Amino acid sequence: MAGLHPHHPPEDCLNCEHRHLRMFCNLTPEALQDYDGIGIMMSHARGAKLFSEGDPARNVFVICFGQVKISSTSRDGKTMILKIAAPGDVMGLSAVLANVPHEVTAEAIEPCQVKTVRKQEFVDFLGRHGIASMHAAQALSGEYLTVFHDAKRLALSGSAAGRLARLLLDWGKSAANGKPEIRFTMALTHEEIANMAGTSRETVTRLLNQFRRDQWIVIKGSSLTIVKPDQLESLTA
Amino acid sequence: MQPEAKSEIGEASARPLAELLSCPPPIASLLNASAQCIVFDTRDTIFQQGAECHGLYVVVSGQLLRKAERLEKRLTLGTTRVGDLVELAATLGDGRHTYTLVAQSSGSLLMLPMNALAQAFHSYPPLRMRLLEELAREVSRAYVSCRATRLAGIRRHGFKSPLVASDLPLGPQSND
Repeated sequence: MAGLHPHHPPEDCLNCEHRHLRMFCNLTPEALQDYDGIGIMMSHARGAKLFSEGDPARNVFVICFGQVKISSTSRDGKTMILKIAAPGDVMGLSAVLANVPHEVTAEAIEPCQVKTVRKQEFVDFLGRHGIASMHAAQALSGEYLTVFHDAKRLALSGSAAGRLARLLLDWGKSAANGKPEIRFTMALTHEEIANMAGTSRETVTRLLNQFRRDQWIVIKGSSLTIVKPDQLESLTA
Repeated sequence: MQPEAKSEIGEASARPLAELLSCPPPIASLLNASAQCIVFDTRDTIFQQGAECHGLYVVVSGQLLRKAERLEKRLTLGTTRVGDLVELAATLGDGRHTYTLVAQSSGSLLMLPMNALAQAFHSYPPLRMRLLEELAREVSRAYVSCRATRLAGIRRHGFKSPLVASDLPLGPQSND
């Protein structure tokens, strides 16, 4: 959920100034040279679907900038948002390597630039470079933890307030990146946050207003600052 | 992107263990020599959630429970079966245990230490790719279970009660 985006999107991987901040792309010079030669860079408008649940997995997608909503839809049309993927995140990797259709839908929630690599090209690349396959393992492990924490958040936080607090703290923690101020950009609507926290849109609006009145958070436009993380933490107990 | 035909999402099944860990003799010898046998009794804790992961565990006999905890709340996530690979995500990922593993009966585990696995990965890349693919299958299964968990929660309206153990998306379902 971090709101930090480069003003000038990278044109290629070799000259990307954000590479060292990204888990997957932070490769050795040899692997990077090879990585730069595979796949294509694609721009997506807000609302564009990169892939849909049930589609055959033919590509792996690495986000260069922008944010992508990862969601799943029930038979009755209810959308459940699992996470917001950020720059450096790899999408579609589990489906490609497990050789199954995409398990989720990926939709740009703001203009995005995404490196798109064909399945076999990506698998061959991993085979050629040990560091790339270790980074892929870390990406998969991170994906596994995301799913695990999502389920744990729903199962172990008894109240809607606790689940929303957990979500805000998780976003704040990943955006803060070691800095003392816990601030991030909320790119989601209250309805979408409700889908993630397993509650209703009305409850999210009410709780955010309550947190703001209690001065636990400060909201300015789309920017949210957590002022009293301990108070939010106490709700998640 | 080309328009692609939709297909039904099925569960990615786990590969047989022997196939997964098969290596040329020198690598197999390295793994065999470094493998540690862990014998456990009922209620023994094999590892604790959040603790450093020392390697990849293979269930040889007995039954174990995966448990997650947050502050004073605890949740049973499911059991392991003989032949299950335990904590592949932690082994290949951040090296921290995702959950606590507790023995439900007496039995034994085989633990392949991290450094031996790293050496094997380095000397024999196909093993790394196979485990990577297995982790991908585990992630894929987790997504399917997570969807079921969330749907169950939505049907219950409001997620008021904690989910039951078997709903949670953890660990390989079976290596049979």
